[in-house]
Amino acid sequence: MNKMNPSEIKNLMMSSLHQDTDTSEIPIRMEDEGISYNFSEKFEDRVLDKLFSAGLTIKGEVEFVKYMNFAFSRIALTGVAAIVILLISIFLMQGSLSFNSILGISDSYDESIICLLTGN
Amino acid sequence: MIHESYNVTEENELVKASLDGDKNAFGEIVNRYQKMVARTVKGMLGDTVFAEDIGQEVFINLYYSLPEFRGESKLSTYIQKIAVNLTLNEIKRRKRFFSMFSHKANTEMYEFEIPDHDTEERREASEIVNIALLAMDPKFRIIVTLRMLQGYSTKETAEMLDLPIGTVLSRLSRAQEQLRTILEKL
Repeated sequence: MNKMNPSEIKNLMMSSLHQDTDTSEIPIRMEDEGISYNFSEKFEDRVLDKLFSAGLTIKGEVEFVKYMNFAFSRIALTGVAAIVILLISIFLMQGSLSFNSILGISDSYDESIICLLTGN
Repeated sequence: MIHESYNVTEENELVKASLDGDKNAFGEIVNRYQKMVARTVKGMLGDTVFAEDIGQEVFINLYYSLPEFRGESKLSTYIQKIAVNLTLNEIKRRKRFFSMFSHKANTEMYEFEIPDHDTEERREASEIVNIALLAMDPKFRIIVTLRMLQGYSTKETAEMLDLPIGTVLSRLSRAQEQLRTILEKL
């Protein structure tokens, strides 16, 4: 088969965009002109390697994430419990849960703070 | 790698065997459809290592989405849709990346410059096709790729891109204009 010249190739490209063209034959004609697309050799092996060796990594990652979630929930629960205990103890000691009580300055007067800070 | 035992196996049997963990069955699926995927991915992204990576990603995505494949469409259509989506996502990702480094954020960032060429020398057919494709706007490029390299009809192209036929027809005519302008320069 004679090779197409550039203008024929261009016409073929343009014809693929005509609404009424039967496009089913165009890829075959393109292949005949040496316009073919392939992945490199051993593409299939690389996909399978990625998939099946990645499986182990993914499994490992999933296990790690599960462990982290478990550890996080434990730490978060402990933290919440500590905050609740702290708030209860502040309430019992100060009699309220105001901002000043939490800072521990609820029964201090301005003068006493100045004395405390200046030492006079 | 060719798996002789699977050469004549129906695709639904290959899917079933792959779901059962048969590595060779999935290998046969890759073997059967890699050329089809290469046409879409390399037609859209050019013949680069990135295209090769996206090609691998297509089959990896396919493997993990096989349990959702109900066999209502052909496996080739299902794979082609994955290839189209991943390729278009890659182009969007590149556009976002380049827009971070360019002030021309709203212009055609992906626009491919047509290399200078001695007019005395004839360009190879494959060179003309590749340069013209890469110079096109991706939303037109995908239509040319699907029709010219895969042989899809307008209806099939619309299904593949999840677009109404009217939209594909309008893009076809705009793609023609753009392709004509590009080919005049080649």
